Order: sequence, then structure tokens, then C-alpha cells
Amino acid sequence: MAGINRRALLGIAAGLGAAGIAGCGNSLDAAAARSDDNAIKVGLVIPQAGVYTPLGLDIQRGWDLWLRQHDGKLGGRRVTTVVADEGEGPQTGVPAVQKLLQNDQVDVLVGIVSSATALGVRDLVTSARKLLLIANAGAGAITTGNSSPYIWRTSFTNAQVAAAMGAHLAGSDVRRAYAIAPDYVAGTEAINGFSKAYRAGGGTIAGQSQPPFGKTQDYQPFLSRIQSSGAQGTFCFFGGAESVAFVKQYSQFGVSRTIPLYASGFLVEGGVLKAQGDAADGILSTLHYTSELDNPANTAFAQAFRSAYGAAPTVYAVQAWDAAAVLSRAVAQVNAVDGDRLSKALKGVGVISDSPRGPWSFVQQSPRQNFYLRRVQTNAGERVNAVIKDLGPLDPQS
Amino acid sequence: MPTTQIAVTAMVNGLAVGLLLFIIAAGLSLIFGMMDVLNLAHGSLFLTGAYLAWWLGGEQQTWPSLARAVVAVIVVGAAAGGLLSLMTAPLSRRSHLEQALLTLGIALVAADILSALFGDDVHATEPPPGLGGTVVIAGWTYPRYRLVLIGVAALITVGVYWTIERTSMGALFRATVSDRDMVATTGVDPRLVRVGVFVLGSVLATVAGLLGAPIYHARPGLDTTILVLALVVVVVGGLGSIRGPLVAALLFGQIESVGRAVLPGLASFLLFGTLAAVLAVRPRGLFVLTSGARR
Repeated sequence: MAGINRRALLGIAAGLGAAGIAGCGNSLDAAAARSDDNAIKVGLVIPQAGVYTPLGLDIQRGWDLWLRQHDGKLGGRRVTTVVADEGEGPQTGVPAVQKLLQNDQVDVLVGIVSSATALGVRDLVTSARKLLLIANAGAGAITTGNSSPYIWRTSFTNAQVAAAMGAHLAGSDVRRAYAIAPDYVAGTEAINGFSKAYRAGGGTIAGQSQPPFGKTQDYQPFLSRIQSSGAQGTFCFFGGAESVAFVKQYSQFGVSRTIPLYASGFLVEGGVLKAQGDAADGILSTLHYTSELDNPANTAFAQAFRSAYGAAPTVYAVQAWDAAAVLSRAVAQVNAVDGDRLSKALKGVGVISDSPRGPWSFVQQSPRQNFYLRRVQTNAGERVNAVIKDLGPLDPQS
Repeated sequence: MPTTQIAVTAMVNGLAVGLLLFIIAAGLSLIFGMMDVLNLAHGSLFLTGAYLAWWLGGEQQTWPSLARAVVAVIVVGAAAGGLLSLMTAPLSRRSHLEQALLTLGIALVAADILSALFGDDVHATEPPPGLGGTVVIAGWTYPRYRLVLIGVAALITVGVYWTIERTSMGALFRATVSDRDMVATTGVDPRLVRVGVFVLGSVLATVAGLLGAPIYHARPGLDTTILVLALVVVVVGGLGSIRGPLVAALLFGQIESVGRAVLPGLASFLLFGTLAAVLAVRPRGLFVLTSGARR
């Protein structure tokens, strides 16, 4: 009730603000552009309010850090970044992208956390013929089926992350697993991705649940179902506040003692890990990054990130960092930064070998990348996701 | 796990959730029923209590840090109640819609202030040593803190019930609602009674936030979630009474807990389905109001 009204009020405020800026903004921008024909303008679309704000902050940090380390340039061109608030979904995210395209006349869009927003701006971006590099949203449909040639992502697909765990668990002595994820697109894709890979490896799904998304405070009824299912392990996918509640309750109700928890890595990534405390200890998860990866690119990146922001880097920061890195390569190859030329250039970037996450390449406009088996443990007084095993590369449509 | 153990877990859990819900809803019901103010900022008070529990109590509470947090939530709750009473006083003779708009505005501002103070990350807190962990009774496992919560919440529930129904202060509250002028002739300023009800209701909300912090975890948006649950309980229970919200809260605890375990497919509809069903049969709630103001 209050949430709807708050959003409406914010919407009105944002609308008034945008209208005010639009009047005088264009002439200033035009003047700036004339002074430097070579400059490019990037619209960074990230959540600055609502539940995804911490992810938005990490994306901005990754983006800013890359630019700071490269003289504020992408492919030799000076960059102006215009940040817009994605909010919690399409009702705020789509107008934000519209404003960046129409009022700010950006050359490229980077960001977007919510899959619904990414799908919501597909037609806008396509008709504007501008490149959109997605730094998080993981819905499979963004880069398959009726996808846009202008939309690429440096992140992951929900099914891909879950399939890495499915394949790993099928090869372990856990023969029966329970799958649980919230009742929305990402949760369904995670359960499907996990189940497909787990069954293919000979595992049996003992049962599955999809608790209502955003409305479940207490997972006790679902925990009872897990306990009575005869499963030897639980696979789960949760994010944000739900991942804190689920992990804590899984431990508090004593389930973790008999049925270990396995997860898509987002469950224990970033700020939520700190909030979960010792309830998270020992959780095994798969993801395409962890701050503990031991390779030269990540050592340098993690050190720079820590000294800049006083926190461990997250997968969200790396996805934005890599967005800047591939965009820089693409920009270096084109005369004009329009969507068609940049998309064509991205097709040819090949293997990105100097990423903190390890080598990766684009397959169907989405990363084919290595996945890591990670375990939550305490290193030097800080809870981290330690690398247990490199599970090797996986295609986005796995 | 045997079926009986699952059933016991679900019912005990329903009791824990229900009692906590009652403490939240009782404050809302008191302020609405007695002072006739629809306080949509009530959820913000709960969230404030949860943030204080984390901020002063720490991620891992100790007994001294918990004591500090208890004092803080009572002081902050009382101050917020006094402030809310002052802010809504000019609208006390106006319509509920105007009060709702004012208190909604307060809730929006409070949410932004809390977000600015504590950030947008989830903040969880663990109960002090001895209260955390899991109890195991003959193979049946249950979080110890929730058992403690049942005890503490039951004590508070009895205390509230006794205060309103059996003490002279409660009598004064109820008398003020029935006949403000008569109370004034006895030498008591009705405005002070109004402040008193607001303070009591608000302290209940912040204390509930403290008690709920290890379960619900302080985070943006929790204020709205809690407010909606409390409103549902108050509406179903019947406006203005204490008994009504208690029965409704315990009922909803069981629906949330047992209902979801038995009918997972209908989980999303159970709560509001019950609300609709109750309102269809008894539009004024389960308990007709006995001590509230009528309009």
C-alpha cells in the first residue's frame, strides 16, 4: 500500500525533475559535444532506490574503477557517464532508459539489474539502434528467441549458473536433491537449469517448491517439506533479503545439520553474506566469480577495488568492469559509435583473457565462461567464498 | 521427519508468529480504536525498532548490548509516539482519509530517513548467548529464539490485556473514548490521555521490532509488509478491541504456518482469502467493538 504510493510519488518527482532538466540540458550537452567530437556518452542504468540498490552501487563502483584506471577513456575516447535510476522494475526502469535515449542522447547504454526491465526496454533500444550492454539481468529470453541484435550481456543466464551446480552435484554422492526458488521467472529458470543438468548426470529430484516471491517472511512450511522429502541435499536460488531469511532459517530450524545447502552463488554474494553470519558457513555454491579467485587480473582488480571502496569486490562489480573492458575494445574498432557498428565489433572481440573472472567469450551475445565451486568460510577474519574447484566453462544456453 | 513432528513445528511456529503479530497490531488497534487515528506510520516504528536492535544490539547480541537496545527502543518508541500524537492532533476531528494521508507521508519520510541512516543492505542480528541455536527434543528440532519469543510475547500480551481491561489507566483510556468531557471534569487532561495511548502503542511497535529483528531482519520495505499484516489483523479482529486482534493474530499465525505447509499451492491466497471471507461474513470484524469510538 505505502510502497505503491511511494513509488508513485517518486515517479512524479522524477518526472518533474526530468522535465526540468530536459529544457536546458540539451543545449549544454550539444555545446559539450561540439567541443569534443571524439567523446562518447554512456548511460548507466542502475537501481538507486529500492531492494536492488546494493547491486546498483556495486555496478557503479566496477564501472567507475575501470574508467579511473584508464584515464576516463573507452577505446581512446573520452567518456561522459550519465547515471539513471532503474528502480525496482520496468515501471521506473523503462522511463529511465527512455530519458537517457531521448533527452540525454547517449551513445551506449550499460547496466540493468532486473530482467523485467531488460525485457521491457528491448523494443526501445532496438528502434533507437543503440547498444545495450547488460551488467546483470539473467533471464534467458533477453538473448534468445525474439532477442535484439543490439542487446548483449557481460553477466550470466539464470539457468547457466544453476546448471553448473546441477552438473557438479550429480557427480557427487548426493543422489536425491530438493530444489527451491522464489516463484518468479529467475527462480523458475534456476530450478529448471539445475534439474536438467542434475537429472542428465543421474540425480533424482526429490521435490521442489516455489515460495511466493517478495511475500514470504517465514520459510518454515517449506523447510518441513524438505525434511520429509528424503532429499540428501537442497539446491536453492534466492537473492537479497530473501537469501538472508532463507539461509538463517535453514540453519535455525536445524535442517542444515542433516541436509546440506547448495546454491546459485547469488545466495551468498555481496552484502547478504555478512548479514547471514555463521548460518552461511559451509554453504557450497556455483558462480562465475568470487573475490578469492587466484589469477593476476583478479589479484590486481580486487586490490584496487578494496583500496578504492574498502570492501571486497562482488560479481556485480566485475560484470560492470567487464562491460567497460569489452566496450572499450569495441569502441577502439569503430569510426562511429552507433549500435550496428558496435554490435559488429563485439561479435569479433573473441576471448577476453584478462578478466578478473577468468577467460570468457560471447556466445549468442551472452558469456560462455568458467564456473567455480565456492564454499563459505572465514579467511583472515572475513567471511568469503573460497574457491574449491574450477568447474570449467559452460555455454549461456546450457 | 515424522508427520507429527512437522505438525508440531507448524503449530508452534504459528504461535510465535501470531504473538509477535499481536504486539504489532495491538498498538495500531489501540491508537485507531481509542484515539480514532489511522496511523499508517505504524510499520515504520516496527522497522525503527528492528534497526535499533541491530545498531545497538550488534550482529551478535550480548546481554549488555541487548539491554542497551531495549532501553533505546522504549525511549525512541515513546518519543516517536509523543511526536505522532502532536502531529496528528490538528487532524483529530477530520476524516480518516486526511489522517491516512498525513501518516502515510510520515511513513514515506521515515522510510527515506531510515534508508539514509542505515543503508539499503539487509541487517540481521543474532540473539544473545543462550537464546540462539536450536533445541532438540526427542528428535524434534526448533529454533530456541522462537520459543523464547513465545514466552516474552505472551508476557507482553498479558500485560497489555491487563493494562487496558483491568487497571485504572486502562479505564481512563476507555473513559476518554466514551466521554471526553466527563474525563475532563475529573481533572484529567484528555490531551494527556491521547499522548499516553500514542506512546503506549508506539512503544509496543518498536519493542515488536526489537523482538522480530532476529527473525525478520531489518531492511527497506519491511515497514510496508508489517503495516499491511497489522492492518489485516486489526480489520479482521474488529476495530478498537484488544481481544479481537489477539484472536485474529493467532489465527493468522496458524494460517501462515500450518496453511502454507498443507496447501502450498494456495500459499499466496491464504491470508487475504481469509480476510475476504471474514469480511464477507462479519463486515465489522470478528469482534464487534466494545470500547472504541464509533463514527
